[in-house]
Amino acid sequence: MAALVLPAGLLVVMLLVAPMLLLARISLNRFSPTELMVEATTAENYWRAVQDPYYQQVLGTTLGVALGCTVLALALGFPAAYWLARMESRWKSLATILVLFPLLVGNVVRSAGWMALLGNEGAINAALMGMGITSRPLPLLYNTGSVVVGIVAVVLPYMILTLAAVIEGIPRQAEEAAANLGGRPMTVFRRVVLPLALPGVVAGSVLVFILCMNAYATPVLLGGPQFKMMAPAVYDQFVRGNNWPFGAALAFILLAVTLVLTVVGSTLLGRRYRAA
Amino acid sequence: MTMTRRAALTGSAAALASITAGLPGLAHAQSKQVVVGTWGGDYGELLRQNIDQPLMAPQGIEVLQDVANADPRKTKLLAERQARRGTYDIACLSDTDMHMISAQNAFDTLETGRLKRGGAILPALAKTYAVPHIYSALVLLYNPSKVTTPPTGFADMWDPKYRGRVGFSDILYSTNTFAAAMAGGGGFSDYEPAKKKLMEMRSLDGRIYPSNEALAAALKSEEVWMTPMWLARGFMWQKAGIPVKHVVPKEGAYAIVFEAAVPRNSRNKDNAYAYLDAMLDPKAQVAFADRMGYLPTVKDAQLPAEIARQISLSEAEQERLRAPDYDYLLKSHGEILDFWNKQFKA
Repeated sequence: MAALVLPAGLLVVMLLVAPMLLLARISLNRFSPTELMVEATTAENYWRAVQDPYYQQVLGTTLGVALGCTVLALALGFPAAYWLARMESRWKSLATILVLFPLLVGNVVRSAGWMALLGNEGAINAALMGMGITSRPLPLLYNTGSVVVGIVAVVLPYMILTLAAVIEGIPRQAEEAAANLGGRPMTVFRRVVLPLALPGVVAGSVLVFILCMNAYATPVLLGGPQFKMMAPAVYDQFVRGNNWPFGAALAFILLAVTLVLTVVGSTLLGRRYRAA
Repeated sequence: MTMTRRAALTGSAAALASITAGLPGLAHAQSKQVVVGTWGGDYGELLRQNIDQPLMAPQGIEVLQDVANADPRKTKLLAERQARRGTYDIACLSDTDMHMISAQNAFDTLETGRLKRGGAILPALAKTYAVPHIYSALVLLYNPSKVTTPPTGFADMWDPKYRGRVGFSDILYSTNTFAAAMAGGGGFSDYEPAKKKLMEMRSLDGRIYPSNEALAAALKSEEVWMTPMWLARGFMWQKAGIPVKHVVPKEGAYAIVFEAAVPRNSRNKDNAYAYLDAMLDPKAQVAFADRMGYLPTVKDAQLPAEIARQISLSEAEQERLRAPDYDYLLKSHGEILDFWNKQFKA
């Protein structure tokens, strides 16, 4: 039976583990403008990234955006997931497809759509100025807000589908029993549905948080040149700066922070689940 | 409909063949090909129309364009430079990028014997590792109806009158830093004064756009009135109805040369040299001038008078132009990019 894992396992080792090991080795090298990469074993790239206020700020922005988007996706996704899970009509499969629909459009194309909507000459500003409500275009694009909106739109289907799968497994009778015993809807939600749905909340939040931490296309296209998150900063070092050692170190810092927060977050939420 | 196993196999083989048909080196390894790493957009299209189809196809050489911006292609050239077989037979890059990659020993030294059109190249543009294809000058573009006193140099961008009206293209960070350095009394080998000037520009609300196209849109809507840019771009934008005029800055500026080189690990060197010759063809050169406003790099290309008037430089203007200090840029590139990202844009 173990042989069944072999093809997938081999693929992961070849396409993920091996390049990661190579990248880890590169992150310990030294950069030189004339020779690009000098073989070395030094932690100075990590040290420089951790100490530099600029990268602290980039990491801070990334964490803020990722946490904000996760909370927002959870708040928006839960009611929709509940509705979808409790749906019994023949439209249910159509509704599921509608939730999935945004995933059929690539991130870049979707961002282009947001740009056409939010830009200075975009649809919203054209409408506002056409109706005489504003005289100058509102700066809707190239800020944190536009990035958050763009990322939430990308991750929402993941959150909804993960939550809906778990909510479907909660017996309706549990809610009915709670209501029968005098629980108001909010109390039923807080004391019965939410604790039972917590594994879904944890799984959905972890998935969404990881996607947000590594977002690339949306921050580049909707954040504009002055907005920086970690993934674009890593790309910048590799491709614009040709500084592979430093780019590799940044990539591992991003990986480590995401991993630690994911483990800590899901452990804390899991403990809360057991207590409830 | 039932599908036999044999039919399924035939079908997938055909599908595989159609997928691999476009890949260099797999299906067509035996036929005559040349893989050109180039920009897309107008540049790639003009290569196709004026070089690939009229000049290469009659020689029986198929041209495959590998299209990407300069940065990813530079990274590819660097990553592959130790490999026995590389992706490109021809690499198209700007002179500064070309020098940088050449310093990594990624290109062949051109064999003059194999390059038939080598003698036609303008001597000032000749290099040992690359052929010049087209060139233009760095200028200051301005909107004449808003900037009523014509500017004379880069320093005019710092006039408080134009607060919030100066735009920069993010991808031209090195060029913009040069403009700031010159405005601050620096030089081709000293970008240090740019730091102070760029921070001043920050407090003057200078605007940064993610691409040249986004900057063009901002110039068109008159959101910004001034920007450092290539003269050829200014010519194209004027043709597209964007209200700009240009001045060759009095502080001095550089020419930008778009070049082509043969990577050491190219697999079709004969075809690569044939391609370089075609790039130097006078008719192809004039086509680039007509559509994109770039100047020919060969002595025997005759520009139509009207175009020559718009894109040529007077002798006085030419005296203000010099080649960039490539070695300085190679050493300072990281610092320039860091300052641009961390201080100016932060």
